[in-house]
Formats: sequence, structure tokens, C-alpha cells
Amino acid sequence: MAASLSQRLVNWARQKSPWITIFNSGACNACDIEIIACLMPHFDLERFGILARGSPRHADILIVTGPVTLKQASRLRRVWEQIPDPKYVIAMGACGADGGVFHGLYHVMQRVEDVIPVDVYIAGCPPRPDEIINGVVTCLDLLAKDAQHGGKKWREMREVEITEMDIKKGELTP
Amino acid sequence: MPEVIIPIGPQHPALKEPVNFRVIADGEKIVRIELDLSYNHRGIEKAAEQRNFIRVLPLLERVCGICSHSHATVFAKGVEQLMQLEVPPRAQYIRTIIAELERIHSHLLWLGVAAHEIGFNTLFMWTWRDREAVQDILEEMSGNRVHYGMNEVGGVRRDLNPSQVKAALSRLPHLEERIAKYVEMVERQKTMLVRFRDVGKLTKDEALKYGTVGPTARASGVDYDVRKDDPYLVYADAPWNVVTDTNGDVYGRTRVRIGELAESIKIVRFCLENLPAGNIRVNAPKTAPKGEVLSRYEAPRGELVHFIRTNGTDRVERVDIRTPTLANWTSVAVGLVNQNLADIPVIVAAIDPCLSCTSRLTVVDNGKRKTTVVSFDELRRKNLSNNEEARP
Amino acid sequence: MTDRLALDFVAAAMRDYGPAGQAGPGRIRIATTPDKIQEAIRVCQGALQCDRLITISSADNGTTLELIYHLTGPHRTILSLSISLPRDAPKTPTLSDILPPAGIYERQIHDLLGIVFLGHPGLKRIVLNEEWPENEFPLRKDWKPGPDTWYGGIREGRT
Repeated sequence: MAASLSQRLVNWARQKSPWITIFNSGACNACDIEIIACLMPHFDLERFGILARGSPRHADILIVTGPVTLKQASRLRRVWEQIPDPKYVIAMGACGADGGVFHGLYHVMQRVEDVIPVDVYIAGCPPRPDEIINGVVTCLDLLAKDAQHGGKKWREMREVEITEMDIKKGELTP
Repeated sequence: MPEVIIPIGPQHPALKEPVNFRVIADGEKIVRIELDLSYNHRGIEKAAEQRNFIRVLPLLERVCGICSHSHATVFAKGVEQLMQLEVPPRAQYIRTIIAELERIHSHLLWLGVAAHEIGFNTLFMWTWRDREAVQDILEEMSGNRVHYGMNEVGGVRRDLNPSQVKAALSRLPHLEERIAKYVEMVERQKTMLVRFRDVGKLTKDEALKYGTVGPTARASGVDYDVRKDDPYLVYADAPWNVVTDTNGDVYGRTRVRIGELAESIKIVRFCLENLPAGNIRVNAPKTAPKGEVLSRYEAPRGELVHFIRTNGTDRVERVDIRTPTLANWTSVAVGLVNQNLADIPVIVAAIDPCLSCTSRLTVVDNGKRKTTVVSFDELRRKNLSNNEEARP
Repeated sequence: MTDRLALDFVAAAMRDYGPAGQAGPGRIRIATTPDKIQEAIRVCQGALQCDRLITISSADNGTTLELIYHLTGPHRTILSLSISLPRDAPKTPTLSDILPPAGIYERQIHDLLGIVFLGHPGLKRIVLNEEWPENEFPLRKDWKPGPDTWYGGIREGRT
């Protein structure tokens, strides 16, 4: 589907200069410090055009750190809802994937995926700044691919199609 | 009473953990302040009772990302005392090197964040760039920039070979030069002198009465430092001094932390140059005898206490963790009374909180019956504009 | 820094409150009761020259709940005063008026173990979220998360 000129311009701006917002959902802070180290002169995320902004209303990408504590869960959800479409979510570290060392503890929800849909996972405890930059660049690639096909819906429908095909072929049990 | 709840939204990435405090204000002056810590509560103490001594160390390391080695060491030290294990000297030296490097990187981090609070962003960038040199040494030694995983009950897990020691020693002169620059700067830089003076003042009696620990207390002339009071690791042998100051305000705390940077480098150099040969660990028994120990450690933010009780099995029965920031909280709650709302960012940053106040701030205004939404960022901007002339 | 306190000296000063014993190098433990704890702390602050509270530790002993107050002073000796409380109605007077930092430790212990501190200015929730049920104390040994109880978080599905 060919996009209009204004749409292509917007897509280009989003890819070339995505703005991120960071949400700490009860983490030990190591991931947050590594993100800030990314923004410092040594690793310098800002040379890619990536700006870290406080307000979710200005963001394209939401980075979530920490296993989501019960108190932060509803707030995480509210922040995610405030971000205008198209939005992408990066879950950082072992905590974002399955709770990390905090798996099964009584005051955490454990998985970011239980609260908001996640697009990219970055592995590590904490991930190094280079790995964080890699994760953000992967997210930008996703953004570019989705933009070519008119948005995230394309990818979500594709995932459903692929899963159904695998179930039919017998490679995945439903 | 009309209450104001600030919408969530992480502010500048420099502000790390979310914590909520309710500030009851009368116009611009603070009347009372209350704390809410549930944003970060994960239930670690309960989980630690169900993991054996090998599995519990990675969990305890991740209580905090900046003082992770502190938590692991204080726990290992306590359990070793209960098991009556004699940890070999080489392991003690390696633990000390990592501990002091952690202190250096933590104080540099704090210096950057405090500078950011007063609008001095250049210093923020400089200190965090210098931190990278420390992170490089730590990564060469342990494999990770944060959460080093060096400790186990009975010693350390990784040894230092001569090339690592040489590489670390070669990075020290650059760090020493940068620290000397910061020492000089805190004496002369007008920005800091003006913005930090007379803010958050604590007298010596107040510091003792409110149970303050760490650099916050030492800036008020209280000379408690667990490394001298109850020496552990190599602190009894290494040549270093406790740094105190008599100012008691944020400026005093800055001077103490920068002074501690200089002392820590001395300890690191001493340990690297005098590393004894030998084993790095002893075999620890699987279970610990029944007993109780109060294990203390001087973390970068102050005195960290683990109260450990064992019952003869391969796991602890109870570990009760008291972090230094919790101990310093009472002094903040008291020190902020009758100060201006706009001073909150600087005063709270001055205790170097490991739960840095950020998004949530509830302001309850006693006098006027109206709701004002004040975000932390606005408070900082107001803070900066109130002190226009101090901007560099 | 002054000299460390000797066990006999401490035992003599504390003899009205309970037996004293050496609990490790530099630490002396005194077992006392909830009705005498305020007086005992005052004696520590006075005759035994303790000028700061290190922390208040808590533990669940199975049959009782135990609170231990650790104090220290220029002599660098740690005095640990311990009291035992019954599980079903653990109540003890607050120490926040004579020891200001105790206020915050008592709030935390109340949340996690359910001990009531009489006379505390404000025993509100501090570490558990506001939707946590009233009578569940996670740090007690017999506590397990109930399968049907709501502890907080979000109910609705994610998308």
C-alpha cells in the first residue's frame, strides 16, 4: 500500500528521531542507571536522534524496567494508555521477561507482558549500554517494517496467521 | 483537607526510583512530610528464607543496583561469622577492592545527580564520563558493570591475575587526577557554594538523635564510620581516614563525599599493590549452625545492617535488611519542615537516596482550599529560577 | 571513641530489666519485656551512653514474635534489647517519642508482621500497596498467598 507523502514524512521522522520515555516499575535501579549511562557522552544515544523525554505524551517508545510491583501495575497501564499510537514497548532485562530473580515474590506481577503488550525484549541483568542501543535499533527496524505496511496491525495479524499455520502443520500445539 | 496528587510520568531519566511522599504544605512552606515505599517493595526478605546460601546471594545483590556488592558482602560476612569460617586474606583484599570501587562509582554518580538538581549539567556529564573508567576496571575484574557477583560464602568466586591488576593500576592515575579536580572545584566553584549552602542543615545533636548514617551524618561532625568502628575486610590495615565536616548542610555533604573519593582511591591502590598470594576461598559447609548475628557494613550511602538468624539448615531463618536511606529518612522528614517546597529536590538528593524521589509528590495545602498539581520537574525549575544568579 | 563496655557493667545497669549475655564480639544482648522496654531504653541512653538507634529487627519465632532494638554509642558496643510478643495479639508501646528514628521502623514492622505499636503517631501502610488485605502479614512464617485473595495489581487483561 503506497503511503501518502505526509505519511512517509512522518514515518521518516519517527524512525530518524524516536523519543523514548522510561518507566521504572519497581526495579533495583541497575537498568535505569545503564540507560542513563547510554545517554552520557561515552555511549551517547542522543547522536542517533533518540531523546529521553519525561512525558509519555511525547514518546514513541516506552522502556519498562523492573518486575512490575503490584503498586506500579495500574500506573504502568495508565502511562501506556497515555502514549499516542503507534507505540512500542521495550521490556528491559531479566525482570521484564519473567521477573528475573524476583520470580514468584509476593509483591510483584512478574511479567511486563501481563500488564501491557511488549514488542522487544532486551536480555541481561542489567543489559550493557551497547545491548540497550541494539534493542532500541531493533525496535526502530520494527517501526520501519510496520510503517511500510500501514501500521502495527499488520504485524499482529501476521503473528496470528503464522501461529495458525504452525498449529495446522503440527509444529505447535494449541 | 484538599489534596493534590501528581500524575505519574518519569521525569528526567536522572531520577531513578519512584517513591511517593505526601507533603503537607501551608502555602510555600512545608509543614509535614510522609513517606510511601510500596512502589519498590518486592518481598525479598521473605524469598530469602526459601533459598539456600548459594541461591540467595544473587537475590540479595539485586536489592539495589548501586550498592549491590555491599549487600552481598554484608550477608556473606554475617554467615561466615556464624559458620566460624576464616576467609583467606587474598579474598578479603579482592572484596575490599571491589567495595571501594563501588564507593567511587556511587559517589561520582551522586555528584552528577546533585549537579543536575542545581542545573549544572556540565558537571553531570563529566562525572558520569569519569564513572566509565571505574566501570571498565570493574568489568575487567568481574565481567559485569553492575551486579558483579564476586562474593560467595567462604570467599570470592573469581581471582585477579597479574595482568588485570596491572590494567587496573594503569587506570588509577587518570582517576586520581579527575578526583583532585573535583576536590579543588568544590572549594572554589561559585555555583555550588551558593546553591548548597545552608540548605537542609542538620546539627550534630540532631544527626545523632534522628539516627542519621553515612556521609549525611559525617557532614554534621558525627564521626561514626563502620569501617573504623567495627573493622572488617582490610580496613584496619589500609591507610585511610574518616572524612568529616562541620557544615551540616548540603555543601558539607558534598565535601565529605568528594573527600571520601580521594580516600577510596588510596585504599584501592594499597590493596592492588599489596595483594597477598593464596587461596581465594575456603570450602563452606552446606548448613549453618543455629545462631544470630548483626552484620554491619559501610555502604556508599551509610551504614547497612543485616540481621541474620540461622537455624541449622541450609538457608537463613530470617534476614532483616535495614538500608541506609531508610535510616536517613527521619532527618529528611524533619529537615524539610519550614523549608520551601522548591528546596525539596536538593535536600532529598543530598542524602543520596537509593530510592530517589521522582514522579509522585502529593502536596496537601492547609491554607487555601485549592488543588495545585506540582510535578517534580516544576519544583526543580522553580528551584533553579529562584537562584538565577547562581547559574554558570 | 571511648572504651568498649564490659559485660559486668552492662549486666549491673540492666539487672532490673533482664539478663545480659555476650552475643558476639562487641555485642551484648539483654532480654526484657514489653512493659519495661521504655525504661530500659532510657537507661541505655543515660547511664550506658548510647546515643543512636541502629535499627529495630524483627523475627517470627514460631510461637512468638520477637523485636530487637539495637543501640550504640561512642563506646562502639552494640546493645541489643529483645522482647517477645504473643502471636495472636502482639502489642507493645511505641518508642518513637524517645527514639525518633523508631517511627519509621515500627511502621514497616507493623505492615509486615502485624505488631501494633501503642501510641505511634501514624501507623499507616508504608511498604505494602493500598489494596493489600488488612489481616495478612507476609513475613509471618505461616503466611501463604491465598489463591482467591486480591493483593493488588490489575484485574483486566492486557489489551
